Amino acid sequence: MNVVTRGIRNAFRNTIRTFSIVVILGLSIALALSMLIARQAVGDKINSVKSSVGNTVSVSPAGYNAMSDANNALTTSDLASIKTISHVSSVTENLTGRLTTEGATAMVGPGGQSDSNATTSLKSAVNLNSVNKEGGDGPKIMINGSSTLPSNFSLPVSILGTTDPLHPNGNDVTIKSGKAIDGSKDANQAMVSTAMASKNNLKVGSTFTAYGETLTVAGIFDSGTQAGNDIVVVSLATLQRLSDQSGVVSAAQVTVDSADNLSSVTSAVKSKLGSSADVQSAQEEAENTIKPLKNIQTISMYSLIGAVIAGSVIILLTMIMIVRERRREIGVVKAIGASNISIMSQFMIEAVTLTVLGSVIGIAAGVIAGNPITKLLVDNSTSSSTGMGAGPGRGAFRSISHSVNNISASVGWDIILYGLAAAIIIAVIGSSIASFFIAKVRPAEVMRAE
Amino acid sequence: MLQVDKITKIFASGDTKVTAVKDVTFTVPAGQFASIIGRSGSGKSTLLSILGALEKPTSGSIVVDDKDVAKLHDHALIKYRGQKIGFIFQNYNLVPNLTAIENVMLPMEYAKVSKKERLERAKKLLTQVGLEDDQQQRKPGRLSGGQQQRVAIARALANKPKLILADEPTGNLDSQTGKMIFDLLHGLAKTENTTILAVTHDLSIAGKTDKTFKLNDGVLTEE
Repeated sequence: MNVVTRGIRNAFRNTIRTFSIVVILGLSIALALSMLIARQAVGDKINSVKSSVGNTVSVSPAGYNAMSDANNALTTSDLASIKTISHVSSVTENLTGRLTTEGATAMVGPGGQSDSNATTSLKSAVNLNSVNKEGGDGPKIMINGSSTLPSNFSLPVSILGTTDPLHPNGNDVTIKSGKAIDGSKDANQAMVSTAMASKNNLKVGSTFTAYGETLTVAGIFDSGTQAGNDIVVVSLATLQRLSDQSGVVSAAQVTVDSADNLSSVTSAVKSKLGSSADVQSAQEEAENTIKPLKNIQTISMYSLIGAVIAGSVIILLTMIMIVRERRREIGVVKAIGASNISIMSQFMIEAVTLTVLGSVIGIAAGVIAGNPITKLLVDNSTSSSTGMGAGPGRGAFRSISHSVNNISASVGWDIILYGLAAAIIIAVIGSSIASFFIAKVRPAEVMRAE
Repeated sequence: MLQVDKITKIFASGDTKVTAVKDVTFTVPAGQFASIIGRSGSGKSTLLSILGALEKPTSGSIVVDDKDVAKLHDHALIKYRGQKIGFIFQNYNLVPNLTAIENVMLPMEYAKVSKKERLERAKKLLTQVGLEDDQQQRKPGRLSGGQQQRVAIARALANKPKLILADEPTGNLDSQTGKMIFDLLHGLAKTENTTILAVTHDLSIAGKTDKTFKLNDGVLTEE
């Protein structure tokens, strides 16, 4: 038997104590590993969000609220000045409106439409859930003080006037049939989504009415989202004319030639538009979105440090306790020729054995708990800090915000090896302090105390 | 041979100084069994610690196997303890989670004896002190006091020491077992040509040793 075998065997000298220490140590290592996993997953997500951020700046009228009709507005002349800023590649201008289906009861409330001319022959592509129907027990939409939907009720239809019909609200759309409209021309042509075309039996060349005029379907598109597919797209000039809002713009998206110039262009746009507009770069929005993730990173870092300290203290106190308990034995083996180094090595191996056993439990528990803990931290943190993301042209940002919650922690061998290495370092540090007490044991004193 | 010349040990605690051993001088030739008797607190254990290089004397010299132990530095002292000295304790002090044979092999491992050699020697020694094969594989907790002391004696002999220091080797044993252990030590002193120095309260045992010393308040006299 050598010092290694003896060290390992000593670790099992007191089975109950060994079991207790290993379990406590395992929990501490599991917590540390979970925090390491969470930290890495959150770090990866932050990098992914940062890398997915485009080089755009969103501009909306100051204090714009999509849920209200009473908003300030920007004008095309306001935006003309920002087109001259260097490094600006393009400026997409948007105007949104809401149409009530002809003959249907209008929904009054936030975002309700009061213009009697703002009607359409189209019906919304969105079907109401059964909970809103008569007899349902879920939340109700209140129509004129009644919670029961009238038979002629229909959700309003959103209409978007844009200078870039292929990127309404900042999201790409795919033309499924027909062709894209020209965003710079004032013509009674529109693009509708596949869902809306299906709901209203529209094909390319079909017509429908809006604002009292007849519009022709030039193209049918798919945006990939329900909200993006419940919309009619016309050119900006067309919607300005139809809605009698000449020169009015409700949102704009400025594309910068390079992400490196995003910050300087954002400042220049803010400077040009002053207090009349809210200007936010994709970077800033991403920073706001990942702020809760950074908080999680900080929390997981402190928890990781705390768990490592707890593990170290457990091993340290355990080894000090064991050394004190075996003081006589240490004195005896010193008397029969053992050097301090050989005794310390034996105790270190004992500590490493306990730690490795704790690590096996800890790593298993950490691997199992890592993903749920990460999701829990992200859900709790992001749900309390992310808002509705209201405002025109925020589609891309909403998708970033949504993707933040869609986090998945994976455990690689590198994490496990780091964890194991950290555990062994903890054991060595913990036992080396105890070794100081071993070196202090004087055999003569032990003999005298007999 | 053990030659002790004017060994003095003074313990200082603050301003208080206590002389535990004073000008102790004696010689025990190789192969002889000597005993030291004395009351509790007379300095017997301190003297044994000094002879076993567990404690440094304040002054004086101890020569074992032609080497002055008092002049050895720390590393050499560890080697000296492991290879020139064998300890036998009243409470046996065996390592509880090692078997009898592993306890005997332990000092040889510290002295870097090969595994094969230490296994063979441990078996031989345990057989020599009267421990049967199955008893050799038992842990101390499953051995009687007398058997444990036999294991302790075998462990003390493991590295063929020049000097065996025994602190009350029969103190925890009944008189019959004590006599057997004494006879064993006496025989080993002759067969192994080892000097044995035992501290004892038992005057009947002390009377049978080759030399008997009396320690009184740190001062040694030969009986």
